[in-house]
Amino acid sequence: MTLDIAQVYGQIEAMATDVKARQADYGQKFDFALQTISIISDNQEQLDRKIQNARTTWLVAGLKEKIGVRRPLKTCPDNFIVVASDGSHIDVDRHQSAHLFLLNIGLVQLQYGNAPDACFLSIPSLYFSADELSIRSQDGRQAPLEGPLLGIKRGVEECRYLADRVCEIDTHLPMVALIDGSLIMWGLVGQRYEDFVIDQLLVNGFLKQLDRFAVLNQRNQTAIASYISFPRSTDVVNVLRVQLCPYDPVDCDKYCKGKFEGRECDRVGGLLDRVLFGELLSQGERSALFSSSSSIVEKYGSHQHQVCFFYVKLDEEVARVEVPLWVADNKVLLDLVHSAIVDQCNRGFGYPVALSEAHEQAVVTGADREQFWNLVDRVLNEGNISLQHSLKQTSKRVKWI
Amino acid sequence: MDLKQKIAEVVETSNAEFTAQCYELDEAPALGSMVKTKNKGCEIYAILYSSSTHGMDPNRRIIARGQNAGSEADIYRANPQLSKLLSTDFKALIVGYSQGKAVLQFLPPSPASIYAFVYPCDMNEVREFTQSLNFLSLLTDARLPLSPDEVIAAFLRYASLSHPSPHDFLVKAGKEIAWLLSNDIRRLDSILKRLQG
Repeated sequence: MTLDIAQVYGQIEAMATDVKARQADYGQKFDFALQTISIISDNQEQLDRKIQNARTTWLVAGLKEKIGVRRPLKTCPDNFIVVASDGSHIDVDRHQSAHLFLLNIGLVQLQYGNAPDACFLSIPSLYFSADELSIRSQDGRQAPLEGPLLGIKRGVEECRYLADRVCEIDTHLPMVALIDGSLIMWGLVGQRYEDFVIDQLLVNGFLKQLDRFAVLNQRNQTAIASYISFPRSTDVVNVLRVQLCPYDPVDCDKYCKGKFEGRECDRVGGLLDRVLFGELLSQGERSALFSSSSSIVEKYGSHQHQVCFFYVKLDEEVARVEVPLWVADNKVLLDLVHSAIVDQCNRGFGYPVALSEAHEQAVVTGADREQFWNLVDRVLNEGNISLQHSLKQTSKRVKWI
Repeated sequence: MDLKQKIAEVVETSNAEFTAQCYELDEAPALGSMVKTKNKGCEIYAILYSSSTHGMDPNRRIIARGQNAGSEADIYRANPQLSKLLSTDFKALIVGYSQGKAVLQFLPPSPASIYAFVYPCDMNEVREFTQSLNFLSLLTDARLPLSPDEVIAAFLRYASLSHPSPHDFLVKAGKEIAWLLSNDIRRLDSILKRLQG
């Protein structure tokens, strides 16, 4: 017997009723949030100071511009290049005969203007040797690359291949490099990874790759950005919560420990940034720039790659775009990212076409996985290499009654 | 064979026909034109009976994009990725092969090789091949997804241009077809009418 959908039906109905009730509550919170933004605009410096001194249990965006500001869409250059990467992987499977994992990176380069062109690449890499299957410290500690840690490693590789590609392009045209998801390595947050892991994946991994884009920008206009569709972040709504908090300095643990409702800040609690900016912004406009206060971003150091972000209103949704500080501080690059992303979404029916195609190049389907493991088994058998399967794996393959 | 002239590559192959993927989108040779490919030292001649342009990924549906475009070319300019996502294929029916200097108008012992390059035949080759018309029975007997009579007529019109007197060639071909289809006047009539076009 598989999932008994009839049994779940009643639970889905209960969920729908709950969603409806919460949406009714949203309306009031939403109006109050808009009022709060207009109050803040009059005295943002005071709020800035309050944010810096606040000790909250949630992430609060740093304010790099007036919170309610709306930046109009600039014209996209006539000739420019968008390069995007995405990745997929086959994780280590302890039930399989061979201990290995596979990363598949999809790369797409699209050139617009007088000489339109496209290049698609799909780059699979197999990792199987002992030193590839774990992250090792100089003093002999190691962390196996599998599960969530492999997902983080894949993110680093996506960025590395993207930087490789961008460096190979011999052009004087402006370039925008796009990553799917976040520039913030959320996977490293709260997992208590040892320092050598963070050093290798973040400091000597991801940030090193971001450096390459910054260097390239000195040659010709090159920006890197990441795109988050349908974001669930609340960093900006949390700014409003700080504003509403009656305590100064704000200290959640001191004044409100164990409370989850009824606080002054709960008058905007539960709202999402994208809902707020869906109302504030007009088509194509971007929000103010904000900076992330994630604990992992602190590990980015007082670095040019501090993560900044803005929201942009598209035809069908509000997306979050993240850029490193060196892009955020360069008005020309920021306008380029803003206009190129809106342009990409217009060409891609609501989602950046380069990211969409990079995904298509990277994707590893269920059938691909099965074919991959069958091939591994076949090659091992042909080489008379005998490795054992788990019996659990065998029982999944051979169904019996 | 001049490598610069290759236009496509065999992606499906059997004794009687092959499918080739064009290197350039929408650049398949015309219906009824003659192409050649290679296998094991012999050149295989075939006549194009169908071409199509479609998405490379059968799971991705092609959608209309040109509502606000000034021309069809504008669609490709605005979406350069399309040239990598679409593919033009053609199917060709094998009508003979050459071994050394001999041109044989029946099926070769082996199909074309997969990934074999496909070249258009020049008019000299077409004229040489159509000195004899024994291959026509391969066309009249073929079971194709479209009317073989259309393909026969298209090929004969095209081949006639390689001869010093296209009219004389068509009369000769018409007589051969009349003999092959002597028991099917309706088909014969249909082909002869198309040859006059």
